[in-house]
Amino acid sequence: MIDRIAFGIVAAALLLSALRVVTSKNLVHSVLWLGVTLASTAVAYLLLSAPFIASIQIMLYTGGIITLMLFGVMLTRRGEDLAIPNDTSEGGRALVLSLATFGLFTGAVVMTPLPLDAPSITVDTAELGRQILGPNLMAFEVLSVLLLAVMVGAIVIARRRDASVDHTAPGLRLDTDPSSEDGSAS
Amino acid sequence: MSLPIELALVALFVPAAMAVLLALVPPLRRTGRPAAWLSVLAATVSLGAAVWLFADQLAHPTRDLLESVAWLPHAGASMADVGLRIDGISVGMTLVVTLVAFCVQVFSLDYMRSEPDADLGRYFAYHSFFIFSMLMLVLAPNLLQLFFGWELVGLTSYLLIGFYFKKPSAAKAAVKAFWVTKLADTGLLLALLVLYSHTGGFEWTSHPGADVATLVTLLLFVAVVGKSAQFPLHVWLPDAMEGPTPVSALLHAATMVAAGVYLIVRTDPLFAQAALTREVMVYIGSFTAIFAAVIACVQTDIKKVLAYSTCSQLGYMVAALGAGSVMGGYFHLTTHAFFKALLFLGAGSVIHAVHSNEMSDMGGLWGRMKLTGTVFLVGSISLAGMPFTAGFFSKDLILESMLESGRLLPWLALLGAAFLTAFYMGRVFFLVFLGKRSEKAEHAHEGGWEMRLPLVLLAIPALLGGYFGAHFAGMWHLDYEPEWNLQAFAPSLVPILGFVAAWSMYGRGEARPAPAMLAPIARLARSGALDHFYEGVYRVLGLKLAAAVGFFDRYIVDGLINLAGYLTLTGGQRVRRLQSGNVRDYVFVVAFAIFALSAFGMLR
Amino acid sequence: MPLAAWLILAAGLFSIGLYGVASRRGAIGILLSVELMANAVNLIFIAFGRYRGDHLGQVFTLFAVALTVAEVAIGLALVILLHRVRRSDERVDEVRELHG
Repeated sequence: MIDRIAFGIVAAALLLSALRVVTSKNLVHSVLWLGVTLASTAVAYLLLSAPFIASIQIMLYTGGIITLMLFGVMLTRRGEDLAIPNDTSEGGRALVLSLATFGLFTGAVVMTPLPLDAPSITVDTAELGRQILGPNLMAFEVLSVLLLAVMVGAIVIARRRDASVDHTAPGLRLDTDPSSEDGSAS
Repeated sequence: MSLPIELALVALFVPAAMAVLLALVPPLRRTGRPAAWLSVLAATVSLGAAVWLFADQLAHPTRDLLESVAWLPHAGASMADVGLRIDGISVGMTLVVTLVAFCVQVFSLDYMRSEPDADLGRYFAYHSFFIFSMLMLVLAPNLLQLFFGWELVGLTSYLLIGFYFKKPSAAKAAVKAFWVTKLADTGLLLALLVLYSHTGGFEWTSHPGADVATLVTLLLFVAVVGKSAQFPLHVWLPDAMEGPTPVSALLHAATMVAAGVYLIVRTDPLFAQAALTREVMVYIGSFTAIFAAVIACVQTDIKKVLAYSTCSQLGYMVAALGAGSVMGGYFHLTTHAFFKALLFLGAGSVIHAVHSNEMSDMGGLWGRMKLTGTVFLVGSISLAGMPFTAGFFSKDLILESMLESGRLLPWLALLGAAFLTAFYMGRVFFLVFLGKRSEKAEHAHEGGWEMRLPLVLLAIPALLGGYFGAHFAGMWHLDYEPEWNLQAFAPSLVPILGFVAAWSMYGRGEARPAPAMLAPIARLARSGALDHFYEGVYRVLGLKLAAAVGFFDRYIVDGLINLAGYLTLTGGQRVRRLQSGNVRDYVFVVAFAIFALSAFGMLR
Repeated sequence: MPLAAWLILAAGLFSIGLYGVASRRGAIGILLSVELMANAVNLIFIAFGRYRGDHLGQVFTLFAVALTVAEVAIGLALVILLHRVRRSDERVDEVRELHG
C-alpha cells in the first residue's frame, strides 16, 4: 500500500517537473525545474532499492549538472536581464512525435508479460563495487579514458582563440625557421 | 539480258538519268536551252528504244516476259519484287507515252521559249522525270511497283501544274490536284494492303476469292476515280489547266490521267472476278462521260473545254472496262492519247498566237494558221468519232460492247455524250478558226518548226490509228474483228448530228450564249458547287478531326510528358526542403525515423 | 508495484524530453530536454535491474550517468563557442550552412 502511494507521489513530481522544464518561458526556471526532476529521480531510485545510485544521482546531477547549466546560462547571457527568453517553435509536430513515441512504448510495455512483484533483494553496495571492477572492468577503464578525452575536448572547443599568438609547437610551424626562437629539440 | 529487257531499260533509265543530271547539276540546268535540248535528246533515245521494242514485240505477238529482282526478302521468299513486264499491253503503252512525251518536249522548245533559263531547265528536268515515272508504272510487274510509279507521276503532275508557282492560282491548283489524287490514292494503298494480307503478294494474277477481289478492285477503282478524274473526284482536272499547255497535253490528256485506266487494264484478272466493281464502273464512267460533256459545252476557256472533254473520254474508257471490254478501254486509251494530245498542242499553238486562253480572243484564225487549223480539225473529228478516224473505231467498240452487255441506260448516256462531244468540239473549232478576227487575233501566226513538227507527227496516228487496231489486237491477246456493216456505221450518225448542231449555232464563228437548256448547267458548273461541298466536308471532318487529334496530342500525350517533368521538378522542390540546414529539423527527422522503425519492428 | 508502471512512467518522461528536444529553440533548452531523456533511460535501467534481482541495472546506470555528464560538458562547451561566434545561442535555426 505504502509503496503505491510513494510511487504515485514520485511519479507526479517527476512528470510535473519535467513538463515545467520543457514549457517554461524562463531559461533559468527551466534549469531549476530540471533540478527538481533529477531530485525526484533520485527518490525513485531509492524506492527501487538502489541507494548508491541515488546518491550518485544527487551528487553528479543535481549538484554537478545543474551547476554547470547555470554556469552556461550565465556565461552566455552577460549583461542581460535574468528573465531570459526560452522560445519554442514547431510545437505541433513535436507534440505529435512525442505522443506517438509514448504510445509506442506504452504499447510495447503492455503487450509484454512483465513481472508484477519485485523479488526480494538485499541492498549490497559492496556487491555493486565488485560487479563494476569484476566482469565490467573493461567498460570502467574505457569510461575513464572517455572522461579524459571529454575534458580535453571541452577545453579545446571552448578556449579563447588569441589571433596574435601562435600556440603551435615550434617544431611544427611552417613559416618560420625551426632553428630560431627557442632551440627546443623536435 | 535479252533484247526487250535491254530496250525497256534504256527507255526507262535514259530519261531518268537526264532528270537526275539536271537536278543535281544546277549550272547545267540553268543554261536553259542547252538543258532543254539534252532532255529532248533523252526523250528521243527513249522513243527510239520504245519503237524498236514495239517492233520486236510485233514479231512475237504472244510473248510475255517478266524479269524481276527480289527487293524485300522475307523468310526465304520475297515480299516484293522490282522489275519489268514486257508484253503487248505494256509495250503499246510505252510507245504511246514516249511518242507523246517526245512531241510535247519538242513543242515546248518553242512554246516555252520566253521562259527564263533556270525555269526552262527545271521544266525539262521535270519532263524527263515524268517519262521515267510513267514508264515505271507502265512496265511494272506487280501492283507495288505500279503504285510507286503512280505516286511519282502524281508528284510530277504537282510539280508541273505548279510550274508557275509564283502565281497563286497555279499553286493552289497544284495543291488541289495533289490533294484530291492523294485522297484517292489511299484506296490504292488499302487495296495493296488487303491484297497482300490475303495473298501474300502484290500480283494481279492471284485469285483470292470473289469477296476479296471485289474489295480490292473497289479500292483500286477509288484510286482510279481520283487519278482519272471521274465524278466526283474530277474537280482537280479543270484547275490543272493552270500548268503550261504542253504539260496539259502530256499529263492531263494522254498519259497520267490514263494511268487509272491502264491500271484497270493491267489488273483485269482481278476485275474479272469482281462483278460488282464492274457494275459500279459502268455507271460512274457513263455518268462522268455525259456529265463532263455537258459542262464542256459551256466553257469559254479553250483548255477547260479540252479538260472536261478528257474527263468525259476517260469516262468512256472506264465504262467500257466495266462492261467487260478490255480492248475497248485500252484501244480508246491509245487513240485518245493521240488525238487529245494533238488537240491540246493545237490549242497551245493558238494560245501562243493570241496570248490568251479565252475563245473570245480568238476567231478567224483559219486564214492565219492553216496548219494548226487542219490538225485541230483532224483531232476534233477523231475525238468525235467520225467515220474512219481512229476515234471512230475505238468509240464504236465501246458503244457496241456496252450494248452487248445489255446496259441500255449507260449506252444511251454514252451516245448522248458522243453527240455532245461533236457539238462542243464543233463549237470550239468554229469559234476559234472561223468568223471575225478579234483584236488579239490580228497578229496571230504559226509557231516555229518545233511547234509544227509535233502537230503533224501526232495527227498521223490520230487519223489512222484505228486501222491498226485489229492488227495489234493479237498482241494484246484480245479478240477484235472490226465489222464493216451497217450496224458499225450507225452510231456515227450521232457525231454528224452534233457537228451539224454546232454549225447551226456557231457556224458564223460568233460567240453566242449557251443554249437555253444548258444555261442552268453552265451556272452550276461555274458555281463550283462540288468544290464548296468538298471544302465544307473538309472543314467539318478534316479540320475538326485534326483539331481533336491535335488536342489529344498537345494535352494528353504531351500532357503526360509534361506531367512527368512537372512531378519531377516539384517533387524535387518538396524533397529539397528536407535539407533545410536546420539542425532541429534533422533531429526531428532522426527521432521520427527511430520511432517509425521501432513501430515497424514492433508491429510485425 | 508492477514493473510496467515504472516503465510507463519512464516512457512518459522520455516523451516529455523528446517534446522538449523537438520544440525548444535555444541550445541550452535542448540540452535540458536531452537530460530528461537520459534520466528516463536510467530509470528504466534501474527498474529492470530491480526486477531482475541482480545489480546489473545499477552498473549500467552508473556508466550511463558518467557518459551523460561527459556529454553535457561537451554540449556546454559547444554552446559557449556558439555564443562567442554568433553572439547568441538562441536561434539554433540560423546555423544553416547545410541548407539544401
